[in-house]
Amino acid sequence: MFEVFKKEITELLRDKKTLIFIVALPVAIFPLLFAVMAFISSQAALEAEQKVHTYAIINGQYAQSFTDKVFYHKSFELYKGEQTFTSVEELSEAVKAGIIDMGIYLPSDAKQTLDDAKQSQWQVVYNDAKTINFLFDRVKELAEEFGNNLRAQKLLSYGIDEQQQQAIIAPIKVVKVDTADKRENLGEKIGGFIPYLLIPLVLMGATYPAIDLGAGEKERGTLETLLLTPITRTQLVLGKFITLLAASIATTTITVLSMGIWISIAITFVDLAVVKTAFSSLRVLDLALIFIILLPVAAIFSSLALAISIYARTFKEAQNYMTPLSMGVIFPIIVALLPNIELNAKTAFIPVTNVALAIKEIIKGTIDYTLLGLIFLATVVVAGALLAFCVKWFNKEAVLFR
Amino acid sequence: MIEVSGLKKKFKLTKDHKKNKLDKIDPREDKDYFHSVTDVSFYCAQGEVLGLLGPNGAGKTTTLRMISTALKPDAGSIHIGGENIIKNPLFGRKSIGFLSGSTGLYGRLTVKENIEYFAKLHGMSKAAISSRCDELFDLLDMHSFIDKRAENLSTGMKQKANIARAVVHHPAVVVLDEPTTGLDIMTTQTVINFIKGLKAQGTPVIFSTHHLDEVALLCDRVAVINEGKSCFDGSLEEFKKVGKSDELNQAFMNILTEKSDV
Repeated sequence: MFEVFKKEITELLRDKKTLIFIVALPVAIFPLLFAVMAFISSQAALEAEQKVHTYAIINGQYAQSFTDKVFYHKSFELYKGEQTFTSVEELSEAVKAGIIDMGIYLPSDAKQTLDDAKQSQWQVVYNDAKTINFLFDRVKELAEEFGNNLRAQKLLSYGIDEQQQQAIIAPIKVVKVDTADKRENLGEKIGGFIPYLLIPLVLMGATYPAIDLGAGEKERGTLETLLLTPITRTQLVLGKFITLLAASIATTTITVLSMGIWISIAITFVDLAVVKTAFSSLRVLDLALIFIILLPVAAIFSSLALAISIYARTFKEAQNYMTPLSMGVIFPIIVALLPNIELNAKTAFIPVTNVALAIKEIIKGTIDYTLLGLIFLATVVVAGALLAFCVKWFNKEAVLFR
Repeated sequence: MIEVSGLKKKFKLTKDHKKNKLDKIDPREDKDYFHSVTDVSFYCAQGEVLGLLGPNGAGKTTTLRMISTALKPDAGSIHIGGENIIKNPLFGRKSIGFLSGSTGLYGRLTVKENIEYFAKLHGMSKAAISSRCDELFDLLDMHSFIDKRAENLSTGMKQKANIARAVVHHPAVVVLDEPTTGLDIMTTQTVINFIKGLKAQGTPVIFSTHHLDEVALLCDRVAVINEGKSCFDGSLEEFKKVGKSDELNQAFMNILTEKSDV
């Protein structure tokens, strides 16, 4: 068994593709991609933020202070062309034609309308199809500010002072008194996403080498020779299984370490308070618990991937079979992300979901150690059963010589 | 000596196979099974080379896979030195060296690592592996490429490496499944010389082939399988006599035709 393991590891480490999957992707390529994505999206947001929009306003005199504020706003520039606008339709046509970015239509004198106990409905004409668009929010903010002033003046004219106004506008103020500490709160918010990242990594670490160790052996014509040596099928499966387990754990560890290092580098440049808090609240024991609970999950995936791979006739066929496995793993993790799904004596027995929930609880700092033990035990039992199935699978002629 | 008697092997038909069934049904096929080998018997004594002949699909590869213990027969026996390897497959694996035309090597291991790996799986000691490797590298003139990765070898080099891999553990019997298929003249000659060497050492060799010139050159005995059954087992002289021709191709055809007619 040790000879099989030693040979498989030697071969894996000499395979450029495996090294790309296990080392290069998590250490350099993923962080680089994330950094490029973050840079591009921040540049796009910055561009949208800094863009100056041309606008036209109809009946601006009905709300002069608002019109002035729009005029002096750094993001807006009044249209100075020859065209004049008298209706919403004309504004709309001009926006469509690209003559202006935005049109504002004030139907009546806002103060007069209020005096008449009516609401003035202003219309903002613009193209809302763009994903990053600060345009409407900025105008709305200025309009609300204007509207609030109007309201305050009106109420003052009725003899209602500022304090009374606040009470009238919002008679009840609900104040949150949170019993959850900072860590629990943060854990609830981000804890669900950590297993969503970690568990597929554990699977990814096992699948690629598994394809090589099973279907790859068949395709190269080495499986038959291997089966004719005096080692038992159990030793053979165990040798391959331990290789996959090691690859899976190595991928996860390298990725997590790499992400940790890159994030700590990133937070020295950018102030990410949430990430800093999240990191500082995790103890070494928590990380160790997450690692330990992931071990049987890696064993489950290694057994499954090996069984699938040995069934496939070719590398390509094995790759096709691995796709549903990847999708099948995502589903129980999503279940753990659903609202009101909590770790209890029932969910502790749902494979993968139980581990995802346990990781969340560990991050929150609210893990029930009895349940954690139960999950570990249940996952070990499932992993053992799958490994036994894998050994049986390796003894089937119909599987080996399809 | 190896003695094969009354071997039988059937395979369950897959749904795909049943769905894509041709109009002409193989007589070995029933509703659920394909009876690949129904009755195969022959023997090969010490220092003999047995040529296993038969048309494509006759059951030669299945027979050789049963002898090599990769497949378990449904019935029959295979004795090597008096031991039934169906009951004791571990003994069979220790005793047999197997090589086929499609056997591969681990591309990312060097030739030496490939051969040492299989020697270790056969439980050989470090010292035994070292001396046996040196012996084989000399015999097959492999020293120039033993440290090259297998993925970078020519077909001829690969086949030499495969031969060394197959016999590294000093097998009592060597089984070769179409070992010269797809090889060039030089590499074919290497395989032929290797079989001659085994014969000289007294190792029984069973090899399947479609090249009857190789049979003429190497074989003491011939066994013919057709549609899963043995239809001839005897010496080369008997083969010519029963086949009513000194020309091996013609004798082979005659034997197949005669048995089909019967």
